[in-house]
Amino acid sequence: MNGTPALKIEKLKKTYSTGVLALDGVSLEVGAGRFFGLLGPNGAGKTTLINSVVSLARPDSGSVEVFGKDAYEEFREARRMIGVSPQEINLDKFLTVEETMLFHAGYYGVPKDKARERAEELLERFALVEKRKQRVNTLSGGMKRRVLFARALMHDPKVLFLDEPTAGVDVELRYKLWGYIRELNSGGLTILLTTHYLEEAEALCEEIALINGGKIAAQGTSAELKERYGARNVEEVYLKVVGNGIAG
Amino acid sequence: MLDRPFRTLLSREVLRFTRVWVQTLIPPLLTSLLYLVVFGVALGGRIKEISGIPYLEYILPGIALMNLVTGSQMNSSWSVFDAKRERYIDEVLIAPMSDFQIALAYSLGGTLRGVLMGAGVFLVGAPFVGLSVAHPGLLLLIGVLSAFAFSALGTMVGALATRIEHISFLTSVVIQPLAFLGGVFYSVEMLPEVLRIATLFNPIFHTVDAARYATLEISDLNPYPTVAVVFLLAALAFAGAWWAISRGPNLRY
Repeated sequence: MNGTPALKIEKLKKTYSTGVLALDGVSLEVGAGRFFGLLGPNGAGKTTLINSVVSLARPDSGSVEVFGKDAYEEFREARRMIGVSPQEINLDKFLTVEETMLFHAGYYGVPKDKARERAEELLERFALVEKRKQRVNTLSGGMKRRVLFARALMHDPKVLFLDEPTAGVDVELRYKLWGYIRELNSGGLTILLTTHYLEEAEALCEEIALINGGKIAAQGTSAELKERYGARNVEEVYLKVVGNGIAG
Repeated sequence: MLDRPFRTLLSREVLRFTRVWVQTLIPPLLTSLLYLVVFGVALGGRIKEISGIPYLEYILPGIALMNLVTGSQMNSSWSVFDAKRERYIDEVLIAPMSDFQIALAYSLGGTLRGVLMGAGVFLVGAPFVGLSVAHPGLLLLIGVLSAFAFSALGTMVGALATRIEHISFLTSVVIQPLAFLGGVFYSVEMLPEVLRIATLFNPIFHTVDAARYATLEISDLNPYPTVAVVFLLAALAFAGAWWAISRGPNLRY
């Protein structure tokens, strides 16, 4: 697996049926084990990009490889390696917290014994043990966010897509999640994070891509970007690249 | 094809209707009991035997099939539509499962609920007419095929629906009238020529008629070609379900 990028996206194009061009030939490579941030304004194409990798969106053209596996031709292998914590809460209302974890593992082919073991570990890690028998639709927003996060890790993915993982989360939980994400990354998990919180990207990501109007507008480490745009922080870079001169 | 991801989705479908069995299984059985009491016990005494069979016994297989068809169709259409509306279907769509497997799991979940409801009607009717079935194997075959056909139809409509009214339309405007006009309460031989021919185009009539043959050895049509017709319906409906899961609006966009 050495040298094979975790994610290799080439010339990905996606036009919605409304005529909106969401991705305009995006090419992107995320190295194995990297912590990669994808930043951009609403509607820039961040979620469409993630959805295109997991076939929730159907790209018009282009190719996607996950650790060398074609995301469409070898979709089973590719999808097994991806965990997604989506922006919108999408928990199955018929299930309890524990069932959510176990069913998710089953959807990814994880054997039952292994799934139970993994569920115990993640319930503990995300302080969900007391809520394990509770139906997910009765949980608070922050709790639901934790379940989403834990669910995405149930099948032990190699790449984790975190689409605005801290949206609507209180400060305490945000810092806890940051700590956990860092720990996962240092354990070798590749992470692709989309976020609106620029300080979050700066604090966590080794490499950042700015997406705007369906195109990658800039890419590099935060130090490289700051130097290239003569900025003091990522927020300034963002405003210069995406903000169309708002920064002055 | 029947791998763990598929089996997990199927077991989730079963859990869905068994968890709320008070809502999903009991009310339809009570409704069936009412049909039996009103049409069979209260009015049945005033209705002549049909083809030498007491009226209550005559209508029982049809009521079972009516329940089976509506139960299986409602189960899948609501399950898929709910999952789509609240977006938890995304978890399934991005899992390592093919669209074929997803459509099959939803369709089989509804099939099981339909078969349980059909069997439940026979049990509810047992105290009134006994539990003798002339051809149990054929009854099971026709029951499973009919449930699968209508469950697959429900899966298709659930995947295609963009508003809750689309689901209600299928149940109230399409399935229920077809079920009532499907020869449950009468023999088509009793109908005027035009209505008799029109009934032949009603798929529920074919399932009811075959079930009646399997139970009582009387029918309006030869039951074996009917099995082929229902098989064809099931295949067509499943092709539609598969296509809809793959191409339906607001699923994979």
